[in-house]
Parts: sequence; C-alpha cells; structure tokens
Amino acid sequence: MVSPLKLFYMAVWRELHTLTRYKANFVFEILTSALFGFGMLVLAVAFDASLLGNTVGSTNYVAFITLGISFQSWQSIALWRAAGMFQGELSTGQIDYTFSCPFSRYWYIVTNIGASAILSTIFFTPMLCVGLWFTQETLTAAGLLLGLTATLLTVVALAQLGTIFAALVLRFRQVTAIFSFFNFGFQMLTGMFVPFQLLPLPLQLVGYALPPTFGMDLLRHYTMGITPIMAVEYEWISLFALLVSLGVIARLTTRYLEKTAKEQGLHYI
Amino acid sequence: MSLDNAIACHNLVKDYKGHKTVRALNDLSFSVPKGEVFGLLGPNGAGKTTLVKILTTLLKATSGSAEVGGYDVDREEDKVRQIIGYAGQDSERSAYFRLTVRENLLYFAHALRDVPAQTVRERMDHMATSIGFSDRLDKQFITLSGGEKQLVIVMRAIVHAPEICFLDEPSKSLDPVTARNVRNFLRSYADEHGMTMCLTTHNMKEAEEFCDRIAFINHGRLQFIGTPSQFRRRVTLKEVIEVGLPRLEKAVESKLLEIPGVSNITYNGTTTLYCDDAFNILDQILAVLKGERIKAPVRMVEPSLEDAFAFFVRNGEAR
Repeated sequence: MVSPLKLFYMAVWRELHTLTRYKANFVFEILTSALFGFGMLVLAVAFDASLLGNTVGSTNYVAFITLGISFQSWQSIALWRAAGMFQGELSTGQIDYTFSCPFSRYWYIVTNIGASAILSTIFFTPMLCVGLWFTQETLTAAGLLLGLTATLLTVVALAQLGTIFAALVLRFRQVTAIFSFFNFGFQMLTGMFVPFQLLPLPLQLVGYALPPTFGMDLLRHYTMGITPIMAVEYEWISLFALLVSLGVIARLTTRYLEKTAKEQGLHYI
Repeated sequence: MSLDNAIACHNLVKDYKGHKTVRALNDLSFSVPKGEVFGLLGPNGAGKTTLVKILTTLLKATSGSAEVGGYDVDREEDKVRQIIGYAGQDSERSAYFRLTVRENLLYFAHALRDVPAQTVRERMDHMATSIGFSDRLDKQFITLSGGEKQLVIVMRAIVHAPEICFLDEPSKSLDPVTARNVRNFLRSYADEHGMTMCLTTHNMKEAEEFCDRIAFINHGRLQFIGTPSQFRRRVTLKEVIEVGLPRLEKAVESKLLEIPGVSNITYNGTTTLYCDDAFNILDQILAVLKGERIKAPVRMVEPSLEDAFAFFVRNGEAR
C-alpha cells in the first residue's frame, strides 16, 4: 500500500508541474487575488463600521472582510477540489486506472486536497497579506501563528467534508448543485462576510456545527483582536472535535460509496 | 483454484440494475494458467469489458467468485491491485494532459504503485527503446496523436512490472506497424518476465498471432475456450462455400437454407455458407443460384478466424 506521505508529495509535484505550464493563468490568478484585497478598500466606505465595532469590538471592516474572502478561497479548494478532480477522472476514464491501484482512497483524496490547498496558497497569499496589512495595530507574531494554525486546522477539517463530496461523485456522478447548496450555507452561516453574532439564533446553532465558524473567528480574534463568539479554549476544542468526527465520517463514507459505486461501474458520468 | 492458475472465475454473474435489469455475465467459469496470453473475443456488448472490470476490482459481481493471482477479487482487492496492470478501453484521455509522457509514467508508477523512481525511469527508457518511442518521452501528453496516447496507456499498464496484466482492446487506435511492434514487445516482455496477459480484442489477426488461448463470449456466456486454431477448427468441421456477393435476397437465402446440409449463412463483404458436406451439395447450391439467375464466383474455402467469429456470433452455442 502506498504511503499517504508519498501520495501527498507526488500530488504537490504533479500540481506544481501542471500549474506552471499554464503561465498566463498562473500570473493572473495572483493578480486577481491582490485585486480582490484592494477592492475591499473601495467597498469598505459603503459600510457602517460602527455596527461592526459594536458587534465584534473592531471597526476594521477591510481586514474583517478580506480575511473572510481569503478563508472562502481555501474553503472552496478544501470542499470542491477533490470532487472536481474525480469528475474529471470520471469523464476521461482515468478513474478506472487509478482505482485499479493499491492505495487508500481516503488518503488519495485528502492528499490531493492538501496539495491543491498548498499551491492555492500561492494565489491567496497576496489577498491575505492585504488583509493582514490592515491589522497592523493589533497584529503580533504569536497572534499570526495562532491564527494561521486555526486556519490550517479548519482547512484540514473542511478537507474531510471535501472527501465526502468527492466520494459522493463516485455514487451520484454530478454533485455541482449539492456543492453549491453547502458552499452557500457555509458562507452565510459561519460569519464569513457578516458577523456571526448578527445571525438569528437558529442559524447560529447550525453555524456551530461548521468548522469555519471557529477557524475564522480564531483567525480574526488573533490578528484583529475581535471579541470571540465564545471562550477561545472552547473554540479550539470545538474545532478539534469537528475535525476528528468529520475525519471518521469521511473514512466510512469513502469506503461505503466506493463499494456501492462498484455495483454499476465507476467511469460513467 | 490451482496454484498454476493466474485467473479463475467460478459461475460469475453480473446484473446491471436499472429500469430494466441487464445480465452482462451469465454463469461464466474458466481459468487461465500463469504465463499465458489469453484473449477475450466476442461481439460488442458481449460482456468482455465487464469481465475485465470485475477481475481488476473495478466492478462487483452479482454472484459467483473470481480469483486473480490466487486472491479473491472481492475480499482481497488490495492484494489483487498490487499484482495487476490495467489499460482500459477508450483511455486515450486518461492521463495528465500537461505532463510529459515521462512525468505521467513516473507519477502513476511511483505515486500510485510505489515503484522506486529510479526503477521507473530505467523501465520506461527500456520500453520506449523497444517500441521506438524514445523521442516522444519528453513530449506533453496532450501533444501526442491518438495512437501515441494509446501506446502510453499500454506502457502505463506494465511499467510497474505486474504479474498479471489486463488490456482492454490495446491496439484499437494503433496503426498496423505500431500495433505489431507493441504486440511483439508485449509478447517478449510476457515471455521474459512470465507475465500473464488477458486482453480483449476485435482484431482477429491479433488474437491469432498473439494469444495462446482465446475465449469467445456472447450474451455474457462462454461459448468457446481453446487455442485460436481449435476455434477455427470448430468451424472447419463445417465446410465453407463462399459466394462472391455482398448479400443474398431473403428468398434466395431461404431456398439455400432448405438444402439439407446447409446450416448457416453469414455476410461479411461476401456471402459465406456453412455446410456439412460441401462437395456433395455444391451442385444443389449452384442449381439454386442458377435458378435465381445469380451470376457470381462460387468457391470452397478454408475458414479464417473472422469466419469463425461470425459463425459463433450467428450460431450461438457451439456444436
């Protein structure tokens, strides 16, 4: 059985080679990321910063929204990348070859998401840097480290959900609408663009079950100094608990859906 | 299963469930000894690809069992995957377009099959030299022709030196010269390494020259298993009369089939009549043709593998 580590670094190697062979796209991905960050400067004047200040203890709307968008970019990769990869493999027939190979399906998906997340970071970095630039007054080295750790854990937790989506592709072939449904929910219910505390209570209850709620809140807390939605210790524990439970569900789901997909064959989309 | 068998199937059944359940394999049993090059023949939709997919752990049989390399394909799928190679049908797009041939083969063998990178490099250089492909190893996959892509897919199937290799129509998009080079290479590779090969094909020349034994499957049932010459001989028991016309009218066909001894008529460019005793009924056949004012060359011929294929497709279960 191939080790997860080898699957991971070879996926990074493959993605890097592929990425650099689409040079114009490579350059514009980075430019777009920076553009988004600076675009928030323009949008910021249209919003009432005092409402944000009253709610989360910081009026720094530019940093709040830019960090949210950076987070959204990682979230999209973590949730969607593997499902997209499987859809591609299904339509080209490559899935038949890959699934005749001896490796863990779970680790194949997770390591491919990881590889994409790492390479996507190249593009998200300009946007994140713009967000962090506007947190200069509150940013410390320790705060940045803790914020990025929370981000990393959240991406790993989201990758478990991404694994479930990818496995769903094996069974249902086309899951774009399922993804859009969940992605929209994740954006609206986790405080990505609107402070979590402003959401109606029933929606907040749903948001507590989603990893980005805690990951994003911790990132903003450590970098911008916002008031967290609960004690930070509880947020860390919640994030870990979600990561472990989603990991178990993802492993079981992958195994189950591969078995059921084998009833009809893998390559028909 | 005998220790000398590389592949064994026991009463395999595969149903595709849907609005209407389709039975793709129907009580299929056979075995393939180690080191053999084994061909699966049959018309489109016969169940060949379904069978290969079950044997490569990609599909689950509805009932029955199968072993590959002594491992059960359902219960020991990881062990089966470690010893097999696979090239699927229509897989000319099934590699990373923007990676070179070298990078693709390295990725698939090293990352997905755990073969050391240096070993992969040596093997791919050896393979490419053998089939005259060395100058294309550093080209991006997307820039290759359809036949070249298919060649890469065949190379991918054996670059990790599998014990048993499954090739689903490997020479489908190859030109005759390349197809022969690939066959020669695969044959010598299989002989040298003792690799068992199971391939599906519609190319009768390939089946005849390349396979030690063949199985003929139709409607999911095994109708013949044996050497290509035995396959032909099953038809040769019937004698063949060829009429130089692409097709006969229904009325003429009926009259000819009424002659005692004429058992079947097939069309494949010319009209072929299968007879029990061609020499003695030739006069009656000529009389029918003359009566119908048909002027065409008529001759007795040795049946080809293609005739045998057509005969089995038309006749179903062999006599």
